[in-house]
Amino acid sequence: MMKSIVLASAVAALLVLSGCGDKNPQVDANDGAAVSEQAAPVAPVQASTDSSETAAEYMARIEKELKTIYFDFDKFSIKSDMQADLSADAAVANANASKFQLKLEGNCDEWGSDEYNFALGLKRAESVKKALVAEGVNADRISMVSFGESSPVCTDKTKECWAQNRRVDFKLLP
Amino acid sequence: MKIIVSILLVIMSMFASDATIDVVKKADTLPSIALEDASVSYDSTFKIKFFKALAADLNVLSIFNVDKAQRNIDFDASRVLVENKDMNYVLRYKLSQDDARALNVEMKLFSKDGIVFNKNYKVNSSDIYMFVAHTIAYDINNFMGEGPVEWMKRKVIFSRMISPQRSELVVTDYTLTYQHVIVKGGFNLFPKWANKEQNAFYYTSLNETKPTLKHIDLRTGKSKTIKSSDGMMICSDVNEDGSKLLLTMAPNGQPDIFLYDTKTKGAKKLTNFGGIDVSGQFMENDKIVFVSDRLGYPNIFSLNINTGSVEQVVYYGKSNSACSAYGKYVVYKARESSDSFSNNTFNLHLVSMESDSIRRLTAVGVNEFPKFSVDGDAIIFVKNYQSQSSVGIIRLNHNKNFLFPLQFGKIQSIDW
Repeated sequence: MMKSIVLASAVAALLVLSGCGDKNPQVDANDGAAVSEQAAPVAPVQASTDSSETAAEYMARIEKELKTIYFDFDKFSIKSDMQADLSADAAVANANASKFQLKLEGNCDEWGSDEYNFALGLKRAESVKKALVAEGVNADRISMVSFGESSPVCTDKTKECWAQNRRVDFKLLP
Repeated sequence: MKIIVSILLVIMSMFASDATIDVVKKADTLPSIALEDASVSYDSTFKIKFFKALAADLNVLSIFNVDKAQRNIDFDASRVLVENKDMNYVLRYKLSQDDARALNVEMKLFSKDGIVFNKNYKVNSSDIYMFVAHTIAYDINNFMGEGPVEWMKRKVIFSRMISPQRSELVVTDYTLTYQHVIVKGGFNLFPKWANKEQNAFYYTSLNETKPTLKHIDLRTGKSKTIKSSDGMMICSDVNEDGSKLLLTMAPNGQPDIFLYDTKTKGAKKLTNFGGIDVSGQFMENDKIVFVSDRLGYPNIFSLNINTGSVEQVVYYGKSNSACSAYGKYVVYKARESSDSFSNNTFNLHLVSMESDSIRRLTAVGVNEFPKFSVDGDAIIFVKNYQSQSSVGIIRLNHNKNFLFPLQFGKIQSIDW
């Protein structure tokens, strides 16, 4: 569950400096209210396959079966060596994960945090979505998001590390 | 002979008004200025901090040679210190704390003719002393008859990455000296001021199932949801009166630019290309500039909102992925190397819509998120170089860059 506290105590920097000569310009330092917000909790899911396993545990286990898809530098087309993994993902999506929604998270390496990089991450997610749909996964089950460079799995400054970050991850939603 | 001189003068005046031409001013031709500290309250640590902030601001003005010595004096002394007698200007100031713990600053500016300018300032807390320093520098710039530096008094908002999928939104001054975390926790990116007054802002929340654009009013602290979209939801720009937004959304996995009306809450799709169209920025005459990969690589284009006609803006470089516009000028980010196996360099360039001249504004590192100031005098940007995030200010007409490093974390995006 994501928790986000919005500290909207407005900035003391709301300066209203005016006037001239020897007048004392006043500062309007506005102390706003603090707002806290919480996303809706994830609803529990009934899983009938294994009575000793909770629904969340089941979902987490199936999620691990879905393989991350990696991409070339500055590209969003599916590499030929990723086809087998994608087919395996499609099979899991239509079997064990068939009760869940699929969320595709597109990611990029560290070269830029601007909108274009986010769009590149999204196009990677879209490529995976098209491939899944081509293998029979219902498009309505799939949502996409891009995290740009903001969700790296590796932060070293090496080519291996950057390659690990150019990826689409799978998340299951109830 | 007269004709030749006239032609030369015309050519010089043409270049003088073109910001894409480098202007190199020799430092030794600038008037000198020294500071005299006449403070009666606060400890020496605070006094040094204030002195450094004010000296730095005067330096950023780029119209003085600023003396680095901090010297003390009585505020009412009729003459400047003997060490400063040869200075063109002496700025004397007095910091004092009143009973309500407010910071009062009295300032007077001496020239050879005696006191030529004076003004007093007051802020409720000494914690925001840097804004007083910025305002003094702003006023002195005005007094000297220089072009506007509105940006100096404005607030900057940025998102800082703390760890993967964790960020915070921070309000700061342009030197990053003042920092106030406005939105803490969660995964929130791309903050953008909602109006000229800077009393509200938009940002992208990635905490929900779909990327969501939120709005926070700083006067009330109220947060509201503006719109959600599958895939992407970013507020790229806000028009001058805050009534229109340029959004990047991807309702079908396809990133496109939309014009959003904050009153009717309607969104009109502006781009229809099947690839990537992002980062819309308002320009004059119902035009926007944006980033598109319609030629097979990211580049800068303009679009007429009324006619839908698209024109290429930049003809240099094979990877230009961010831009900002002011008047006839566009600043853009260009990849200078395409190496997937080593460090890459991204530089900022300035191009005029009316000529072919291009000026490179940065030299090393990853320079991104260029954004013109409201008065077009300066460009703010983010520099990431050797694991250090900094905010940079480029004074276009003075040909100077200033960097202000971030103490921790990495800046994801910035607006001012």
